[in-house]
Amino acid sequence: MIKIENLEKVYKTEEVETTALNGINMHVKAGEFVSIMGPSGCGKSTLLNVMGLLDKPESGSYKFLETELLTMNDKERSNFRKRNMGFVFQNFNLIDELTVFENIELPLIYNKVAAPERKRLVNEMIERMNIVNRSGHFPQQLSGGQQQRVAVARALVTKPKLVLADEPTGNLDSSHGNEVMELLCELNEQGTTIVMVTHSSHDASFSNRIINLKDGHVISEKINKTRSEELI
Amino acid sequence: MFRLNLKIALRNLWKHKGYTFINIAGLSIGMASCILIFIFVRYQLSFDQQFANKDRIYRVVSSWKYADKEDFQSGVPRPLAAAMRNDFGMLEEVAALQRAGGIIKVKDQSGKLRLKTAEDVFYIEPGFFRIFDYPWLEGNPQQALVQPNTVALSQKMASRFFGDWHKAVGQTFQYRDKTLKVTGVFADIPDNNSNPINIAIAYAGYENKDMKEWYTVSSSSEVYILLKKGVNIADLEGPKNAFLKKYYTDKESNGKEDHFFQPLAELHKDANYGNFSGKIMEKSQLTGLIAIGVFLLLTACINFINLATAQAIGRSKEIGVRKVMGGRRKQLMVQFLTETLTITIFALLIACVLTEAALPGMIGLFRENISFSIMDHPVIFVFMIVLVLLVSLVAGFYPAMVMSGFNPMLAIRNKVNLGNSGGAVLRKVLVVMQFTLTIILMTGTFIIMKQMKYIREKPLGFNPSAIAMVNVPGDSLSRLKYKFLKTKVENETGVRMASLCSSGPSSMDVDDINFSYNGKKPGFHVGSKYADADYFKTFDLKVISGKGFSGNDSLQEYIVNETFLKKLNIVSPEDAIGQKVSLGGSADQISIVGVVKDFNNTNLREAISPILFHKNSRKATVIAVKMNTQNIPATMKNIEAIWNSVYPDHVYMADFMEEKINKYYENERVIGTLFKAFALVIVFISFIGLFGLISFVATQRTKEMAIRKVLGASTLELVNMVNFSFMTLVLLANLMAWPIAYLLINKWLSGYAYRIELNIWPFLIVTSVSMIATLLTVSFRSFSAARANPVDALKDE
Repeated sequence: MIKIENLEKVYKTEEVETTALNGINMHVKAGEFVSIMGPSGCGKSTLLNVMGLLDKPESGSYKFLETELLTMNDKERSNFRKRNMGFVFQNFNLIDELTVFENIELPLIYNKVAAPERKRLVNEMIERMNIVNRSGHFPQQLSGGQQQRVAVARALVTKPKLVLADEPTGNLDSSHGNEVMELLCELNEQGTTIVMVTHSSHDASFSNRIINLKDGHVISEKINKTRSEELI
Repeated sequence: MFRLNLKIALRNLWKHKGYTFINIAGLSIGMASCILIFIFVRYQLSFDQQFANKDRIYRVVSSWKYADKEDFQSGVPRPLAAAMRNDFGMLEEVAALQRAGGIIKVKDQSGKLRLKTAEDVFYIEPGFFRIFDYPWLEGNPQQALVQPNTVALSQKMASRFFGDWHKAVGQTFQYRDKTLKVTGVFADIPDNNSNPINIAIAYAGYENKDMKEWYTVSSSSEVYILLKKGVNIADLEGPKNAFLKKYYTDKESNGKEDHFFQPLAELHKDANYGNFSGKIMEKSQLTGLIAIGVFLLLTACINFINLATAQAIGRSKEIGVRKVMGGRRKQLMVQFLTETLTITIFALLIACVLTEAALPGMIGLFRENISFSIMDHPVIFVFMIVLVLLVSLVAGFYPAMVMSGFNPMLAIRNKVNLGNSGGAVLRKVLVVMQFTLTIILMTGTFIIMKQMKYIREKPLGFNPSAIAMVNVPGDSLSRLKYKFLKTKVENETGVRMASLCSSGPSSMDVDDINFSYNGKKPGFHVGSKYADADYFKTFDLKVISGKGFSGNDSLQEYIVNETFLKKLNIVSPEDAIGQKVSLGGSADQISIVGVVKDFNNTNLREAISPILFHKNSRKATVIAVKMNTQNIPATMKNIEAIWNSVYPDHVYMADFMEEKINKYYENERVIGTLFKAFALVIVFISFIGLFGLISFVATQRTKEMAIRKVLGASTLELVNMVNFSFMTLVLLANLMAWPIAYLLINKWLSGYAYRIELNIWPFLIVTSVSMIATLLTVSFRSFSAARANPVDALKDE
């Protein structure tokens, strides 16, 4: 589904140039659950941002279902993103002023889904995430695990082809973290493609394949046999 | 501790330069406007207030009630002063003041003419100087003006006449046909005085002082009274009613006579009566100005409160640390109030500079000599201190309360949330208030401008352009030369025609006279003007029925206007031709020979009144000269030369008809300019405040906008989202401003008989302009916030 070739990204400040991505080549198949790992500053978040069309690399190619995304203009990228991708962040990034229901509804509004249809989809998602009795609450009233479930629900409500998760368990204790990972696994089993950045090898063990980055290079790839067999 | 706090305060101000600039700019401009208004109002309220007895001094004024209207007059009948002195026991003093004017000639020792000038003079009873304690430099105010043909001069006038005022007493000069002896010199009367007396002649020498007519009133005859100590003015009501009954005995009088005792402080503020200085500042206008000053200051304070509470979160850590280390709430309050005070004092310094810079403009606008000298008027200094304290308190109290009330635990972790708390709601309420005031002022200004344009452009029913009004002397000898002067002027190239008359078609001083029509007295007065046969052509007035005046001067003829006929219920102008009118109780029955189309006979605040033209060039006071528009200055010079050759003993004076008309709207000019200036100021303050607030909101919502962007929001959707709340606030302010503005403007317009119709357009235009301005102000900031890369905002701290 995703084919990335020779991706390069350089951050410039007044004094230093930092090469965040230095000729990355990788691919992701439809239905895969890929983890990206590596030490701090290895470029994994940058890679995820580029994949999410939030950041632009200097050169390279990024094909999504045979469509080249890097030549698109801002508007096309934005449209492509909202139709095909969902995001889960380490710090949840829910909007404090909106209720659980409204937070989940938001991407549907930007996708111009009609109100009754929105209601149906959000309620379906709320049920699936097991947060029915929380739908009228505000984010601050929820535990971290519950907040991340809301964030996952929000990422999935548009039925994206790809979910990008940036350290989804980073702000959670281990039991809540496991809950979220199981949720992601379950989604993956239902057919959603997931790319996740993580520090934790425990979390990575939930995925089919682990890509290791260092200094902007892919240094190794490992198939997680226990999970990947199911895929094949 | 104080030095530390000051350091923190200054560093904070420096850190948020933008907000600091907005605060100081808004406050200093608001304060400068307030100081200007204060200086002006103080000056206006200082009129006639320098007298020791000021609270016991009243002017006796006259009024008449007619069936359809009420008339007011600052003058009283000539016998009134003597009668009051006799009939009222509660008065310490009664004194008449009679204005007159004429040519004054001063000769030097050798008998050579030293100075010839036309001046206003006042015949004054000695008691006047017991009522008003003007400081005298020479002579005794009680004795100087007892003898007929004695005169006292102001210091300025005495110096002008005799070179040095010390030498004035004992000298003589010519006034008309009298020789007056100087017996006193008094200090110059300050500008803020309703009686600009420079030449005070003994009333004993006034030729008409013994006139017994109770039914003739001239605005030149004023009477002042001084109450005995402890007497209440209301106690005079009973004696007054008896007095009216005793002297007004004519059952056939058209109107019901009344007198009113006008407090001295009102002389400057009541346009119904007016005064000799011609300076009037109506109370409603002063109130309006004060209201605008309060508006401006409030708007600036609102900016301050909004930005201070908005910034409060940024300082929560400092507050938390201070509290944890033992700072008490009261100490924090004092700290924040001190900060506000510092900013306000700084703003005041800038305000003083702005005031000084704006003062010449204001002096030019009001044509008054107003000074901004704290030495002369320490009350201005007091006002500035009060202003600073008030602003610091109004602007600083709420933010100080909010900030000092932070929970230290949350504050230290930067977790204070003002977003949904009262702070945000209060900010919205304040913004709505601020913009309601702004919109009211904008709409008001817009409509005032429209009304002024209407007044400028409305056809008056006659053509005042290129007409010079040249005064002619009124003594019997001069009158004989009127015809000669007219012929000479008419022969001048550049002069198209000329007319001897008492006034132009439009004039403020109308002689209201009672009259009878075919022997019957109708219930209204008619304004009479004297004119010769060329009057109607000179002013381009249309005679719609009958004919103009005949050239034969000995034949008495009247011409009336349409309103005169309407009031008499005469439908066809032809029916009036040949009917008989007699004026002012005279037995002469004179025929109406023509009807002139209605024209505006005074300013456009007033409806057209019934007017009667009396053919009589000997009663003229001016010669109206219609000129070719080319080279008017040269023509005027030639006319002056002709005039001086005809009347070598008199002083030439002339002005233009159009300028006379413009003078009616002096007040409108001032009010219009003020509104324009202050509307500009309030718009500036409000919009920089709005800009500050949107900057803050955009910063505060950066993260939310980034999230939304990641979820698929387009830049436009984000801009709209941020703009929407501000647009709603301003729209709400507009809706609130509409009814208030409508009421105020309608009240103002109701003062005009000729006014624009108030429709919805000015309101819609101001609303659209304010909405578009808001959209631009807000979009400028929200657009850049929406364009920002969401990755930066979503990075974990």
